[in-house]
Amino acid sequence: MELTAQGIDIRLGKKDIVKQVSVQVKAGQFVGLIGPNGCGKSTFLKGIYKSLVPQKGTVFLDELDVLNTTEKKVSQRLGVVGQFNEMSFDLTVHQMVMLGRTPHKKLLEADKQEDFAIVDEALARTNLLDYKDRSYQSLSGGEKQRVILARTIAQQPAFMILDEPTNHLDIRYQLEILSCVKGLQIGVLAALHDLEMAAHYCDYLYAVKEGQVFAHGTPEEVLTSGTIEALYHVKCQTYQNPVTNRLSFAFGL
Amino acid sequence: MTSKDIRRRGASGFYFAIMFLLIGLILISAVFSVSIGQVRIPFGQSMEIMLHTLTGGHLGSLEHVENQSFLTIISQVRMPRVLFALLIGMGLSLCGAVMQAVVQNPLADPYILGISSGASLGATFAILVGFGGGAFFSQMGVAFGAFAGAIITSIAVLVLSSIGGKATSVKLVLSGVVIGALCGSFSSLVIYFANNAEGIKSVTFWAMGSLASSSWDKVPILAVVVLLGCALFLLQFRVLNTMLLGDESAVTLGINLSVYRKLYMILTALITGTMVAYAGMIGFVGLIVPHLCRGLFGSDHKRLMPASLLVGGLFLLWSDILSRTLVHNVDLPIGIITSVIGSPLFIYMIVKKGYQFGG
Repeated sequence: MELTAQGIDIRLGKKDIVKQVSVQVKAGQFVGLIGPNGCGKSTFLKGIYKSLVPQKGTVFLDELDVLNTTEKKVSQRLGVVGQFNEMSFDLTVHQMVMLGRTPHKKLLEADKQEDFAIVDEALARTNLLDYKDRSYQSLSGGEKQRVILARTIAQQPAFMILDEPTNHLDIRYQLEILSCVKGLQIGVLAALHDLEMAAHYCDYLYAVKEGQVFAHGTPEEVLTSGTIEALYHVKCQTYQNPVTNRLSFAFGL
Repeated sequence: MTSKDIRRRGASGFYFAIMFLLIGLILISAVFSVSIGQVRIPFGQSMEIMLHTLTGGHLGSLEHVENQSFLTIISQVRMPRVLFALLIGMGLSLCGAVMQAVVQNPLADPYILGISSGASLGATFAILVGFGGGAFFSQMGVAFGAFAGAIITSIAVLVLSSIGGKATSVKLVLSGVVIGALCGSFSSLVIYFANNAEGIKSVTFWAMGSLASSSWDKVPILAVVVLLGCALFLLQFRVLNTMLLGDESAVTLGINLSVYRKLYMILTALITGTMVAYAGMIGFVGLIVPHLCRGLFGSDHKRLMPASLLVGGLFLLWSDILSRTLVHNVDLPIGIITSVIGSPLFIYMIVKKGYQFGG
């Protein structure tokens, strides 16, 4: 599924947070959104998945006009893994993942054998089968985020948005989560903080600065010393990592 | 079938067994409740009278009844009262469970949106000042005042929390507290200037909650409101479950919480308003029963809601039995009993290791 967001403007209070941002994700592409804290990445993503209403602009998932379609219809196609959030009440891991089936259910429809199979598959993909009956609240941050990812997979989306999904997670969980999403082979738009991760996983990058697209292109085109210095105000040297052969960064103030 | 599937089935077997047990207990308790009270009526006779009343005279004969007043006591006083206890217990637990989901706060109860203080203000006003000479108002005065107070404050809370954007759960709770404080001070003002000791006593009594005014003519309205509310919210388990996740996640699962939040608040306000109008403020039931059920069955509303309804009904049935029999010849306000039973139960739940609000 292809995502096209065109000319998005989002104002919160009196401040223009997102100004004329356009992003395109082709079918099956993993597209990254990078930029400093507060540059409008999350706000822009919220505008796409209908948590906020953009003042201007259009969002299309293939033929589907996202901003003029009900939340339910959109959520049948679009899955979101957000930043880690706290809950006051507890559910088991299985119940939590089962909530991912909500968009596909009518009000009174019971959970069928098919739904249980889908949930089990999502749990298997995220290595959570042994956690099924555990309480969600008792899990570590990394495990919780995996449960959220499993819930989103159980939603069977044709497109996925990730909003800094690996914040606060240790390196193993970061790799696990991004590899799992990459393995789904659906279109992904992800806001990421770690530039090496972005360079490794993304097919295409958009760099956002002060609510506008500052640069876009392949990771090699975008992640240059010049762009990174302009985005984050830090000195940066890029180099080929001799061990991994991937793009790496050396930072300094 | 793997061992996990068996375990899941086992868990739902346990759940249904408990549900049937609860229904059985409610029936037995209701019969027991009808048969005891301040006037001693032999068990056999109270059964006969109850059967006679329930079946419209087809079953049970009144031949053995020693005293005609027994008939009145059983059929006109105790039977509607037992129904009241059951319905109000169900309604309070229902509204409690829903409110806890709506404001995503385990401390919520049916009265959280200022309903209690609004109803108190309305009742206080009706008792001490009155609505004027109209026959309708003088008859229905306190109930009408309480109901109107409850509805008006909850609308005010809704409006206040929606000013300047979405009604988030935090704004809702804060608006409830503010409006509650305002109504409380107005109630105090009315009481301060009222020169009416008898009236002040009845305000106090009303605020403690009582089922003493139960009667058959009030049963239909209460039954329709509470049972419709139950039926409706039992069907909303999917929305209630996503409410626990918060606005952000709910939208990504296709549910716009701010719409449902308002709808649920208006519905719970109507149910709570009706209950408060008939029985005053009965505290603690709506807070403790959903928590008790979460501890037993988890937070999945598909199981939590039916369990809360049954446990709530049973809880209030027994609170009512105690309120009538604990002190000889005294009908204690039921609100005192529910708090006295509820607090230790709640303390136990907090102290007990591992209670995670339903895991």
